[in-house]
Amino acid sequence: MSHVWLPCGDYHQTYEEDQGWWQTTFIKTKMVLLLLVVFVGIPQFLDDYWISVGTMVGYTAMGALGVQLLIGYAGLITLGHAAFIAVGAYTSTLMVLQVPWPQFMIDWGLAYPVSILAAAVTAGIWSVLFGLPSAKVKGFYLILTTMAAQFITVDFILTQYVSQIGGRGQAFSLPPGTIKIGPWIIDTETEVYYTMAVLITLMVIVLANLLRSKAGRAWVAIRDNDIAAEALGINIVWYKLLAFFVAGAMAGVAGAFWVSNTAALSPEHFPWFWSLWLVGVILIGGVGSIHGAVFGSIFMVVVMELLQMAVIPLSIYYPKLLMDFAFIKDMAFGLAICAFLIYEPNGLAYRWWQIKNYFNLWPFSY
Amino acid sequence: MSQAQALEGQDTLLELENVHMYFGKVAALAGVDLQVRKGEIHSIIGPNGAGKTVMMNCINGLYAPQKGSIRYKGETINPLKPHLRAQLGISRTFQKIELFGGMSVLDNIRLGRHINLKSGIFSGSFYLGKTKREEIAARKFIEEEIIDLLEIESIRDKTVHMLPYGLQKRVELGRALALEPELLLLDEPLAGLNLEEVEDMARFILDINEEERWKVTCILVEHDMGVVMDISSRVFVLNFGNRITDGSPEEVQSNPEVIKAYLGEEDLYATRR
Repeated sequence: MSHVWLPCGDYHQTYEEDQGWWQTTFIKTKMVLLLLVVFVGIPQFLDDYWISVGTMVGYTAMGALGVQLLIGYAGLITLGHAAFIAVGAYTSTLMVLQVPWPQFMIDWGLAYPVSILAAAVTAGIWSVLFGLPSAKVKGFYLILTTMAAQFITVDFILTQYVSQIGGRGQAFSLPPGTIKIGPWIIDTETEVYYTMAVLITLMVIVLANLLRSKAGRAWVAIRDNDIAAEALGINIVWYKLLAFFVAGAMAGVAGAFWVSNTAALSPEHFPWFWSLWLVGVILIGGVGSIHGAVFGSIFMVVVMELLQMAVIPLSIYYPKLLMDFAFIKDMAFGLAICAFLIYEPNGLAYRWWQIKNYFNLWPFSY
Repeated sequence: MSQAQALEGQDTLLELENVHMYFGKVAALAGVDLQVRKGEIHSIIGPNGAGKTVMMNCINGLYAPQKGSIRYKGETINPLKPHLRAQLGISRTFQKIELFGGMSVLDNIRLGRHINLKSGIFSGSFYLGKTKREEIAARKFIEEEIIDLLEIESIRDKTVHMLPYGLQKRVELGRALALEPELLLLDEPLAGLNLEEVEDMARFILDINEEERWKVTCILVEHDMGVVMDISSRVFVLNFGNRITDGSPEEVQSNPEVIKAYLGEEDLYATRR
C-alpha cells in the first residue's frame, strides 16, 4: 500500500520497500513517539484518574477493533459484540478461579495469561457459532441473529447458569493476587494500563497484518462485491466465519482484560447497550479503518469524561444531573452519532487523513 | 481458417451437454451443447436475452443448471461452487464491471492472486516470513506479468472507481488473469469502449490466447461482430436458449439461419466498421 508520500527524488527500489510499514524516517519518528507516549508518557506523567481513562479508552478500542473488522472490513453488521466480550471475561474468570492450577503455574504467573488465550479461543468459537447464519442471510437478518447472540449469551446463559457456578449468585470477584502475569501482580491503575497497552498494541499489529495479507483482502472483497469475490476463488462462507472468529477472539481478549481492571464480574457489565456503543464508536471514528476504531474510542471516552466533569459543578444547583448522568451520557451518545452522520459521515479517521494530506502537500493545494 | 484446423486435434477443455436452465417457466437455456477446445477463442454471440450471460454463469458456477452436465477437463463440475471452479482454473470478467471500487488497482489484482497464496491465518497475523515472501512474490508477478502486459503501470496506485471505464475494463481483465487461469470467460469485454480501447483490448485478448507464457483458452461473449469474426477460432450462435450453429466465423457468417435470427433479414451488419 504505497499511500505514503516520499520526499522528492526518493524512490522505492524493491517491492519490499514499497509494501513496507513506516516507509520514511519521518513516519518512523512519528510512530516511535506515539509508542513512547503510550508506554511512557501517559502511565508515568499522568495521575491515576487519567490513567484509568486511558485504560477505558484501550478497553473500548479492543472491543471496537473487533466490531470494525466485522462491520468495517467484512461488511457483517453485528449488534451483539458485548456477548463475545462477556464470554471472554467469564472464560478467563472461571479458569482463574476454578481450574486447579499446578502450583508452579501460579508461582510463575501463568494462569491469567493462559486464561486470556483460552478466552480468545472460546469467544472466537462462540462468535463463529452465531456467525453461522451469515452463510445464508445478510443485512437486517444478520443484525437480528447477532442480537440473538447478545440475549442468549448474556441475559440467558451467563445470568441464569454461569453466574451460579461456585454458588456466589450474581457476581464473581477475583481475590487479590489472582491476576498475575509473570512476576507482576496486576492491581494498580498503572499495571492495568500497561496490560491494556501491550494487548491493544498486539491486537492492532495482528489486525493490520491480517488486513494487508490474504485474509484481509478477502474480507474487503466480500464486503464490496461478494459475487466477484466468489468468482476469484474466495470461499465466502469460510472467510465470513474467519472474520467472526478473529473478531470474537479479539472480544475474548478484551473481556479477559476487563477482569483485570475490575477484579469483579457480573453480566451487567455487558449489556446490549455496550454492543450498540461499540458500533457508535466506529461510526464516529470512521468505518473501515483501524485508526477509526482507536480515534472513536478516544473521542467517546474522553468526551464522556469531560461531560461528567462539566456536570459535577452544575450538580450543586441541579442535583438530579449527576443522579441521572447515565441518561445524559446516552443522550450525548445519540447526539454525537447524529452529528457525525450528518457532518462527517466518514468519521474522524477521514479528517485525520485529510489533515495528513494537507501537510504532505503543503504549501501547495494539490 | 487455418487456426481452426490447427486446433482440430486438440483436447476438449470444456464441454456443455444438454444444459437446461429455467427461471420459473422461462427457459434461458433449452438444451445447449458446447465444446471448447484447448487453446481456442470460442465466441458466443446472439441477440439480447439469448442466454449468453446465463451460459457464462453456468460455466462459472453462479447458476446451477437444472439439467445437463458441464465437464471441465473431462470431469463433471456441476456440483462445484464458483470458488472451487476458480481454483480449477476457470476465471472470468463481468459484463457490468464488478471490481472492488474502493480498492487500488494493485489490490484488485492482488485479490486475483488469492488462490495462489497459501500462507495461513497465523502467519498472516504477524506477517511472518512465509506470508511476507508470498506477498512480495505476488507483487513481482503482478507487476512483471500483468501490469506490464496490460500497460497499466501509471494507474497501479489509483482507486478503481476513479478510473475511466475503459481502464476499469482493463483492470478487470488483469484481475481475472492474475488467477493464471486455463479458461477465461470474457463477458462483453468490449462493451462501452471507444475504437482505440477496443483495438487495445482485442490485442490483449489475442496476446493472452497466443503467447507461450499464457496460452489461455477464452470464451468470449461479445456484440462487436467485427472483432468477434476477426479473432475467434469458432463462433457459437445462441437464440432464445437454443444453439443455432457452431462453427468457424466464415461458416457462421454464411449460415442463412444466423443471418435471419440474429443479424437481421438484410445483409450482415457489423457495428462500427
